[in-house]
Amino acid sequence: MFALAKTFLQIVRDNWVWREQAWELAKIDLVKTYRGAALGWIWLFVKPAVYIGVYYFTFAVGMRAGADVNGMPFLLWMAAGVFPWFFMGDMIGLGSDVYRRYSFLVNRIRFPLSVISTFFTLSKMIVLAGTMAFTILACLLLRIKLTIYLLQLPLVFALMMYFWVMWSIWLSPLSAISRDFAKLIGTLTTPFFWLSGVLFQLDESPHIFRTIMNFNPVAWGCRAVRDCFIDQKWIWQQPKALCCYLFVCVLVTILATHSYRRLHKEVPDVL
Amino acid sequence: MSSKADKNSLKLRALRAASSESESISWAGEGEARIIRDRDASNPIAVRFDHVYKTYKLYKTDKQRLLGAFSRKVSYKTINATDDLSFTVNRGDSLALLGLNGAGKSTALKMITGVCYPTRGKIEVHGRISALLELSAGFDNNLSGRENLEMRCQLWGFTREETDALIPEMHEFSELGDYIDQPIRTYSSGMKARLGFAFASSINPDILVIDEALSVGDKRFRKKCEERVKSIMAKENLTVLFVTHSPEQAQQFCTRGIVLQKGSAVYQGGIEGACEYYDNH
Repeated sequence: MFALAKTFLQIVRDNWVWREQAWELAKIDLVKTYRGAALGWIWLFVKPAVYIGVYYFTFAVGMRAGADVNGMPFLLWMAAGVFPWFFMGDMIGLGSDVYRRYSFLVNRIRFPLSVISTFFTLSKMIVLAGTMAFTILACLLLRIKLTIYLLQLPLVFALMMYFWVMWSIWLSPLSAISRDFAKLIGTLTTPFFWLSGVLFQLDESPHIFRTIMNFNPVAWGCRAVRDCFIDQKWIWQQPKALCCYLFVCVLVTILATHSYRRLHKEVPDVL
Repeated sequence: MSSKADKNSLKLRALRAASSESESISWAGEGEARIIRDRDASNPIAVRFDHVYKTYKLYKTDKQRLLGAFSRKVSYKTINATDDLSFTVNRGDSLALLGLNGAGKSTALKMITGVCYPTRGKIEVHGRISALLELSAGFDNNLSGRENLEMRCQLWGFTREETDALIPEMHEFSELGDYIDQPIRTYSSGMKARLGFAFASSINPDILVIDEALSVGDKRFRKKCEERVKSIMAKENLTVLFVTHSPEQAQQFCTRGIVLQKGSAVYQGGIEGACEYYDNH
């Protein structure tokens, strides 16, 4: 337990000391993702727009399920779930294998491995913040009523950020050691998408399923963002869901610290 | 705003400059290692290895390696890439590590630079290291040469102004011309080595590590690099570690040599003796 606490403090310290570099590297990661495309930054918005369009068509037009939710347009309800999902989906697949993506930082330069997870998550978080800003702007233009509950959005982002950084620190060493493992985690993306209430309302599902979903960080992320836009609630007004999320955060912190402590010295040897 | 940022970054750099690390590593059941690493460039010792072992575990498959991370029952072979290696490099020395492929030269360098960790023994490193490992100084293939230089300067801890002042100089030295704005993945190995060398030798390190970088460039560029190393060695208290399998190059600018064989030092001493030993064995 003592060793774990020490490793955790080491991770915190590394991240603090390298915070400026982490910020710069996050920007570089963004630049890299859209490098080589003539339209560059436009792609940041095209992909989400196309997905939202297709989902909207399927549900609202195809399945005739596009009724307003809590008096808010269905499209906004969908955007408030799907945009956070893009962030979380990227983190499930790519975020769990960051060392391979940045192998030159692992075995060519002396660089604290946990900070790689941080700046990668940060770069995806910038995209999420961008799409959410775009959503807010669209709401303002269309005169859709936004409420005071939107103020908790940064807090929601911070809580999401914490979990997914830890997720990445936890799984990246394992993915670096075994490609099978990386693939296995990659295949979880689709189940997480369909089971986490990104595109349906969890409140209408059976009690047992809802209980399980309280421990699903993806479900919490979508719900928390929807609390801001649609349901107009503070996240602590659903204490059970919040406590479960915090519990999962603590759990993944322990797992991440353990995995990091055991494996971070082996990662440069195997990459 | 900018002055505040400057102040912050100064503080940060001071913090990092003062940072000294002392780490004890225990690998499950295999031994203890100790690493002392600081930025103290006035210490008469630059690098010291004290009975250092580096053991790689060789598993049959990746799956077994994954299982091995959780259980000790999985069987694996071990190989000692570094086997009871001890040596000391004094400040201002220029030391050549000679050895055939697989003699453990690169592993030793990696442990010095801190990208991998010893299994047993003690390593001391005093001073900041700039290294060219396996031809790339840690370059991202998808970024252009210039962006890579900017990123590396950033990671080294330079401010924006220092970076802006240094990059033209590095650009000129590398002789890359317009290629500087092309992605690194389009570079030839010679071009990468040139860019890497330009960076590694321009940032004013206390210890310069060169791993075979000089063997890929053409004759003229090699000469230029050698002159560069000689000139920075002359005016500063620079320690050079040079890895090679060519004794001629080692003799050019190293005064001491170590011959490695299967991970251990079989000869230590003056460069002439080392080269002679290397040629005869």
